[in-house]
Amino acid sequence: MNAGARFGAAVLAMVLAGWALASISSYDVIADVDPSRASLGPSLDHWLGTDHLGRDVAWRLLKASQAFMGPGLLACTVSSLPGVAAGALAGFFGGPIAYALRYLATVIATLPRFVLVLLAITIYGDNMWILGAAAGLAYAPTLAEAVYNRIDSLKRDEFVLAARAHGLGSWRILWYHLLWINCRYLVGRHALYLFSYTLLLETTLSYIGGFGVKEPTPSWGNMLAFEFGQRDGNPWGAWAPALAIWLTILACNLLANSLVEKRRA
Amino acid sequence: MPDRLEMRRLEVRARDRMLLDGVHMSVEAGEILALVGESGSGKTLTARSLLGLPGPRPGIVSAELLIQVDGCCHRPYAGLGPAPWSSKLLDKRFKGIRGAVVGYLPQDARGGLDPLWTVQRLVAESITLGGTSGEPADWLRRAGFDHPAVVQPLYPHQLSGGMAQRVSLAMTMARGSRFIVADEPSTGLDPTVRNGILAEIRKLADDGVGVILITHDLRLVSRLARRVVILHQGKVLEEMAARELSSATSTRAREMLLATARISGGSR
Ligand SMILES: Nc1ncnc2c1ncn2[C@@H]1O[C@H](COP(=O)(O)OP(=O)(O)OP(=O)(O)O)[C@@H](O)[C@H]1O
Ligand SMILES: [Mg+2]
Repeated sequence: MNAGARFGAAVLAMVLAGWALASISSYDVIADVDPSRASLGPSLDHWLGTDHLGRDVAWRLLKASQAFMGPGLLACTVSSLPGVAAGALAGFFGGPIAYALRYLATVIATLPRFVLVLLAITIYGDNMWILGAAAGLAYAPTLAEAVYNRIDSLKRDEFVLAARAHGLGSWRILWYHLLWINCRYLVGRHALYLFSYTLLLETTLSYIGGFGVKEPTPSWGNMLAFEFGQRDGNPWGAWAPALAIWLTILACNLLANSLVEKRRA
Repeated sequence: MPDRLEMRRLEVRARDRMLLDGVHMSVEAGEILALVGESGSGKTLTARSLLGLPGPRPGIVSAELLIQVDGCCHRPYAGLGPAPWSSKLLDKRFKGIRGAVVGYLPQDARGGLDPLWTVQRLVAESITLGGTSGEPADWLRRAGFDHPAVVQPLYPHQLSGGMAQRVSLAMTMARGSRFIVADEPSTGLDPTVRNGILAEIRKLADDGVGVILITHDLRLVSRLARRVVILHQGKVLEEMAARELSSATSTRAREMLLATARISGGSR
């Protein structure tokens, strides 16, 4: 693991820890309003100070991870399960599923994905879980095609033939040799990119308003929008969520870039 | 009756021509049968047909394979219906034969190893599959590595050709195959390594494994094998005792053998 990947993993571990902490804490975003302590700078009581309604920025920052963490993970699952399954089966066994998959992938590739995702939330409201599911589904064909190409080229390799000669069954070859060892990094990269994409979508929509997470529920997007450009405000009110978004996306990308197969250095 | 493997009437077609035509051979447990022939004569195709592995299309169009082990008789090609046979069908027919009964050392040993698995994992998998005992290191030592710990963490692309041959041999031994088809296991190795591998193959045969040894090296044939089958353009040109090789009867066989010897560096 290189330095960038270690940094990325550390940041993501912190985000996860923050999410876990926020999920078990009894912090109440509404009860926390207290105009008498509005826009304070950082202190021991309020590590990142307070926003202009007197709410604790640090707690809101942690609480806001609930806005994207679940949907982001949902996107990864919704994208990976069908994507890997379809790509692997079509790639390994070929036949009609392979044609169907290619057709489907082409059709979906012609639609702009961002529009697809926006469409989903316009129809189904500003539920971020729907956003996650839509992003996952929109990108499932990309993953399916990547896995398909990888498996399709690998299955003709001499080592697959040798594995057959060694008495390994198709499923064992597909699962252990092709998918687990030869595709796990591919899937990992895809999941990380998709996660950061979902985070970016959620924060962007929440920043713009209209769709997305709405006050008083915190999101890094609406925290930024809410505090950005406040006069005499606490600068950390806007800087903290901005940095959090930037760091998390950077972490995902650094980690994803380190997931490279060690085949032929 | 001793265990044995017998192939008869093997025919393999490509779209436009016959690649193998009526090839036959048989090997008993504990015996080494040499299969020689010039490049392109169909040795590798023959080896693969013994395992039901896919080659050209339409591929194997006729074959009678009889494998007798422990009083139990396998006839994987029997009653398959008209050719071509799908690889899925052959997979089913050869289940329990590949690896367990017939092992294969591919010509391109390195290409035969999963590029993303370490040597340690590869051999460990063979041990699990074969239900044999011992650690990967033991099998690697038997295959001629004096210091197995050095190779165990390596990936196939970090192995030399000869090392890959030996890893492949270790895997086949750990798999516990009753018959082994070794496709040119000695080509491109330095004499020490080659002799090590050949000694190991000799020992396998002494332990009761039937070996089909594909090679270009005629010196080797007379030293190791009891019988030899000479392939020429997809046909069996001659089959004889290995020690008669130098007095090969048919003139064509002689010419061909001389040519092979010249190609493989005048090893005769
Ligand atoms: N997939 C294929 N499609 C068409 N022809 C093939 C295919 N595979 C092999 N052949 C042909 O079958 C013949 C025998 O090939 P084979 O690989 O068995 O030769 P070989 O005796 O093993 O040669 P070498 O000593 O070079 O390894 C060759 O003429 C080759 O062109
Ligand atoms: Mg060959």
